[in-house]
Amino acid sequence: MSQEPSYLEHTSSLQRRGILSWLLTTDHKRIALMYMWALMFWFTAAVFLGLTMRTELMKAGETLFGAETYNALFTLHGVIMVFLFIIPGIPAIFGNFFIPIQIGAKDVFFPRLNLLTWYLYILGGILAIVSLFVKGLPDTGWTFYVPFSIKTEREISLALIAVFILGMSSMLTGLNFITTIHRLRRREMGWFQIPLFTWSVYASSWVQLLATPIIAMTLLIVVFERFFGAGLFDPSRGGDPLLYQHLFWMYSHPAVYIMILPGMGIISEIFPVFSRKSIFGYKAIVAASMAIAVVGSLVWAHHMFVSGMSDTAILVFSLLTYLVAIPSAVKVFSWVSTMYRGSVQMSPPLLFGLCFVYLFSIGGLTGLVLGSAGTNVHVHDTQFVVAHFHFVMFGGAGFAFFGGLHYWWPKMFGRMYSFKRAYAGIFMLTAGFMLHYMPMFVLGMQGMPRRYYDYLPVYEPGNFLAGIGAYIMAAGIMVIFINLIISLKKGEQAPANPWGGVTLEWQIQSPPTVHNFTADPEIGEYPYDFTRLNKNREKEK
Amino acid sequence: MGTAAVSDSQGSRFGMWLFLYSEIMLFGALFILYAAYFLKYQSGFAAGGSELDLTLGTANTLILLTSSFAVASSLAAVQKGSMKLSGAFLLSAIVLGMVFLGIKYFEWSHKISAGIYPGSAAFKAADPAGHGRIIFYNLYFTMTGIHAVHVTIGLIVLMITFAFTASGRISRDNHALLENAGLYWHLVDILWIFIFPMLYLIA
Amino acid sequence: MGDVVKNIDNAFIYIIGISVVLLTGITFTMIFFTVKYRRSKNPEPADIRGNWKLELVWTIIPLLIALSMFYVGWNSYLGLRNVPKGAMEIDVLAMQFSWLFKYPGGRESANLLVVPEGKAVKLTVTSDDVIHSLYIPSFRVKIDAVKGMKTYAWFQAARAGNYDIFCAEYCGLDHSKMSAILRIVKMDEYRRWLEKKN
Ligand code: HEM
Ligand SMILES: [Cu+2]
Repeated sequence: MSQEPSYLEHTSSLQRRGILSWLLTTDHKRIALMYMWALMFWFTAAVFLGLTMRTELMKAGETLFGAETYNALFTLHGVIMVFLFIIPGIPAIFGNFFIPIQIGAKDVFFPRLNLLTWYLYILGGILAIVSLFVKGLPDTGWTFYVPFSIKTEREISLALIAVFILGMSSMLTGLNFITTIHRLRRREMGWFQIPLFTWSVYASSWVQLLATPIIAMTLLIVVFERFFGAGLFDPSRGGDPLLYQHLFWMYSHPAVYIMILPGMGIISEIFPVFSRKSIFGYKAIVAASMAIAVVGSLVWAHHMFVSGMSDTAILVFSLLTYLVAIPSAVKVFSWVSTMYRGSVQMSPPLLFGLCFVYLFSIGGLTGLVLGSAGTNVHVHDTQFVVAHFHFVMFGGAGFAFFGGLHYWWPKMFGRMYSFKRAYAGIFMLTAGFMLHYMPMFVLGMQGMPRRYYDYLPVYEPGNFLAGIGAYIMAAGIMVIFINLIISLKKGEQAPANPWGGVTLEWQIQSPPTVHNFTADPEIGEYPYDFTRLNKNREKEK
Repeated sequence: MGTAAVSDSQGSRFGMWLFLYSEIMLFGALFILYAAYFLKYQSGFAAGGSELDLTLGTANTLILLTSSFAVASSLAAVQKGSMKLSGAFLLSAIVLGMVFLGIKYFEWSHKISAGIYPGSAAFKAADPAGHGRIIFYNLYFTMTGIHAVHVTIGLIVLMITFAFTASGRISRDNHALLENAGLYWHLVDILWIFIFPMLYLIA
Repeated sequence: MGDVVKNIDNAFIYIIGISVVLLTGITFTMIFFTVKYRRSKNPEPADIRGNWKLELVWTIIPLLIALSMFYVGWNSYLGLRNVPKGAMEIDVLAMQFSWLFKYPGGRESANLLVVPEGKAVKLTVTSDDVIHSLYIPSFRVKIDAVKGMKTYAWFQAARAGNYDIFCAEYCGLDHSKMSAILRIVKMDEYRRWLEKKN
């Protein structure tokens, strides 16, 4: 196959050059890369904030800074990681880049809307930065609980508006994807021929579309409260702060599925390719994605078991929480079974996949501890919860993000990275991760609450270990990033299909041309049919 | 190639519907709040509701309904190819929408001059017995305010559409924009049909 | 410690125990497959796309396990909610950033909760400003303090000694300094303490 000019060189139909050919592009692939650089910036910033907190926590007592700084740090760290990194992350980068390709389309359905969402994302980020310099650093935590968020004198309104805009950006992205998948799919591709990554982003896009407006309105009301003193959530004026929590979690719990579903999609792509074998239980995984999207929208109040909510509500929400665990378990079993009698090739993406399964399982299983009412009361709002959500959001969605980066990097940039450095990075990241977050489960069981910059001396050993782990982890992340960046300059040319994948993105050249396909792609009966590929390989021998 | 066109009118209508779902969820959050507080403060809500001007509220409901009907007629006219008629219908829909906002403005300023608005001195001084009425008015201002923002956006969209009909960019074979603008305007109308009884008819 | 604490700890052991077994199983299977079916040993993959019987089994068994966990957890939770008759009642007022305890006779104390050994104690909790959360790790008790709302928790003051009380819901600047001591003392010492003037 002769190499045609790729989307990286070709300056699209508008013939713009230089930076404008990026800033005004409507090419889904270029927009994906613009998202990628912006996201990397925010992620790195938030890692530094996290590391600063961990350093303060390494010794009991006030060491580097006091409560004021610490409170601002966890607020910023949380807001950035949640709203600027992990929620938009996988859909905005890999969804944008690969959904159109996986369904055989030239672009998303609303290309200009797609560019608009990027600008909204940037605007949200800028507002978040501006909010730091107005009236002192925001100090509410990413949850913005009332009445504290109404009463605090820090500048919260701007931060809330930033989150509002970011929500709009990711909601419109979801809208775009749903329309794209419905309208631009090749006629030959039926619903059960869609690759699992696209399926899972599809499921999470629906959640995004329907849940985001709820938090948008809720945060808007908090802004009204601050400006006009409307009193809708203020108990001293008849408002009910619990209603805020309900509305907040009605979005923010589904949001954790918005984070994890696309990640699960990536993992569902990685396991078959590196086992050269079909995914185990394709339909079960599709069904599980949809089940997670639906049932996951009904469990929000499990964040409120000690809030003073009625015991009946606790009974119902605890039960539903256990039900939503099942589809995730099904997926884990399917991934592992995909390797059974496969032809397994170790590689950085697969290693990320294996680490994902391990870490995500820990995150999910400790979620069972939190879902049960009796045990929840003890560990709610302690370090146990902090460990749990880092396991699912970072060990789960974050590792899937990195796995996807390594899986699709050769396709996106046409370059191979060094495996050796990648393995070293993954090893450090995972080992550091365990050392960082495992002690926090113990700290939580011992009773150390979260959002504490200072603590009793009994909690010192755990916090010290966690600090060491965090540094190892951050070093691992650095190795991973440096390795990828070096590959852009020095990496070997990547072939069209370096891993032997069968979804459509592997049928086109690396990096793809502007309109993705130069010839009609072949769409198989079944999206993970490796038999033909394997036969071809035999013939070649 | 076997793909659908990058942009077809069916697809943009599909996207519009998705957007309307999200708008409904946006107001859904307000309706949840309303329901929860209504259960808690029934008498306060009745007291607050009885102070609203039912005549103006009803008038506004009829105005918005008529306006919605005018947009539908405008679309029907385009489909028959009579652009003049379509433009006239559209224009009357816009005028009616503005009348709606005018009446809303009148109602609001009336209340505000009577010292009834979020964070007013009278509200701040109220004792717990008056909380229900205060919550009612806070919801009243939030709901009608956010609805009015939607009316304004709808009006802007209708005006752009009107300009396009006048300049001929909307025609018998190419009226997706009018269709989508109409959908949005119907949504604004339907939301009001929900809001109206919640605020004006509970007394 | 009382039965409540024991039940909750058993629920912890039950859920975490099963979780460790599951995690070990998953991890070892995964590693085993990675090694056993590595490409150099197994160049020809089989073409297996699923097995609905197996899939049904691994849906239903986890479901049963999950339901049993739910049941165990819920049972242990009931212990936290059912206050025994004759429990002594203490009102708790949380504020930025301290705890105020009000005893039946009118005595009040700040950041120190004194109760007699062997008694069941019911705490009725509310807040003066933002949301706080009363947390006594040793008794597995936690309940939010919300302005305009009364919530409750109870514990069996089993053994004399000092225990920590924390604020678990983030409440502002000195959230991490908002702690108190729970002091369980002998009955007569409690009486003497109660009589001391405020
Ligand atoms: C090197 C990486 C990281 C480090 C060192 C780190 C460290 C921390 C620390 C120390 C806290 C505060 C705990 C407390 O006092 O309550 C925290 C909170 C949090 N982290 Fe991370 N974290 C890292 C990565 C991540 C990632 C990747 C995510 C999400 C994808 C994330 C999401 C959060 C959230 C949402 C909070 C809660 C903030 C709040 O309480 O409002 N973190 N992290
Ligand atoms: Cu507190």
